[in-house]
Amino acid sequence: MALFPLTSNFEGDFVLQLVAVDTENTMDEVAAAAAVHSVGRRVRARPGHILRIRRQGADEFLPRTMKVAESGLKPTETVEVIWQMPHG
Amino acid sequence: MAVLNRMDWYDLARSTNWTPTYVTEDELFPPQLSGAFGLPQNAWEKYDEPYKQTYPEYVKVQRDKDAGAYSVKAALERSRIFENADPGWKSVMKAHYGAIARGEYAAASAEARMMRFSKAPGMRNMSTLGCMDEIRHGQMQLYFPHEHVSKDRQMDWAFKAYDTNEWAMIAARHFFDDIMMTRDAISVSIMLTFSFETGFTNMQFLGLAADAAEAGDHTFANLISSIQTDESRHAQIGGPALKILIENGQKAEAQKRVDIAVWGAWKLFSVLTGPIMDYYTPLEHRKQSFKEFMEEWIVAQFERALTDMGLELPWYWDIFLKDIAETHHGMHLGSYYWRPTVWWNPAAGVTPAERDWLEEKYPGWNDTWGQCWDVIIDNVVDGNMALAYPETLPYVCNMCQLPILGTPGKNWNVKDYPLEYKGRLYHFGSEVDRWVFEQEPERYAGHLSIVDRFLAGMIQPMNLEGALAYMNIAPGEMGDDAHNYAWAEVYRALRETRKAG
Repeated sequence: MALFPLTSNFEGDFVLQLVAVDTENTMDEVAAAAAVHSVGRRVRARPGHILRIRRQGADEFLPRTMKVAESGLKPTETVEVIWQMPHG
Repeated sequence: MAVLNRMDWYDLARSTNWTPTYVTEDELFPPQLSGAFGLPQNAWEKYDEPYKQTYPEYVKVQRDKDAGAYSVKAALERSRIFENADPGWKSVMKAHYGAIARGEYAAASAEARMMRFSKAPGMRNMSTLGCMDEIRHGQMQLYFPHEHVSKDRQMDWAFKAYDTNEWAMIAARHFFDDIMMTRDAISVSIMLTFSFETGFTNMQFLGLAADAAEAGDHTFANLISSIQTDESRHAQIGGPALKILIENGQKAEAQKRVDIAVWGAWKLFSVLTGPIMDYYTPLEHRKQSFKEFMEEWIVAQFERALTDMGLELPWYWDIFLKDIAETHHGMHLGSYYWRPTVWWNPAAGVTPAERDWLEEKYPGWNDTWGQCWDVIIDNVVDGNMALAYPETLPYVCNMCQLPILGTPGKNWNVKDYPLEYKGRLYHFGSEVDRWVFEQEPERYAGHLSIVDRFLAGMIQPMNLEGALAYMNIAPGEMGDDAHNYAWAEVYRALRETRKAG
């Protein structure tokens, strides 16, 4: 359990933002924490979509249940927060 | 006794180099301050300034300029222009004075370095006059806003901005410290005068003067036009220095300094001048879009200045040409959304009529930045004001110190340009910002951005209140919407019409 800063690059938004998460948070929880600062502020919610996390430039998303501590992400590293249709 | 014509004696009188005998040349002109480049004194004696002016001529001309600007101010002091100005225009003045006035005083110090340490006699003479120019600009741009301080606390930022840790000021200081406060005389001539002044001050001073005159603010229009006449003279200090460097096999070093300074200047103008021209200036008073000004003054004129000099266009020119239609929209959206952290009141500039103008000038605006604004507008119309303010920090670039941003919405292209250096992860807003860092990492590596400071626990408490205190934004100075959201009424009415229909 430790505070962990990440940089959120949220799909559809215009700016990178600092997001404070916990090393025990899952990628779904990281996505939710990032959404707080973009969705409903400058990005419209997309009903029926979920949010996935990937390293900048990666094709693959990190597993939804993976914890920050297991991800190998560095403090302040930029993650892309991407809208995805479930099973889509 | 007949008086000689100026040109019969000027070159001889200003050629004040001599051969030192009690000290070495390096002691007289320490390379760190003079600019090493491996060139001896006599190479610099070929420096030929295009603008030759003597001290008595300078004093006479400057006296006339001052008399003009100060008398316009005196004549219009009772005209209540400030009281009656559009709030967006007041924000233009506040942003300009805060960002510029004290920087002009600082520039006097940079000019003074050229005045003492340049090995080129002609440069020493021109920068003597340049130094006095900058003192004049500092004095005027502190004196002119002073009459408004008692009317509006934000006007106090004309005086205090440079002493604060406000984020935009950290960005401005980082840039000016880099190009003029911590460089040798020759580099100052290239980076400050040739790159920044030739390239960019036309934008701030001529472009803005045109908008000021349109807005009826003749005091401000006269002030900044008067300043620009000096800028266009002392901006020519760098050209002959570049010529000498190129002739002596130093083109690559000269080019690098131009490339670094032009990029930094561009980023600063994208946050300061871009929003002013395309969003704050009332629609009916806009002469040209920011992009059109950039194309006229930078792309057309500065491009020619570079190639005439024998230099190449900066390697990133294609990136730059693309960015002049994009970056400042993000800088505006950012400074608007984080408006409590600036010392002026940003004008949203997004009524339907203004959006039509933006769409015309920047095709695709509605599908990109417009999409973000749609959400902000809905929140304002619905009274969801908590969502119309930020709850975290934007991540800022470790070079330009400005938010790392890109195009949102349908053309989403936001990207971080990271770099790990000696175990620390740095973030940059573009390939070019990262390239600048890589040219001389130790020069920049120790600096902490506002986000780095936050993460290091230097901002307490770690919330908006702590951030405002850290940035020295006193109660009553915090920025908010320039028009107190009156612009949202038209959207409210549109919604009612739609409902009724």
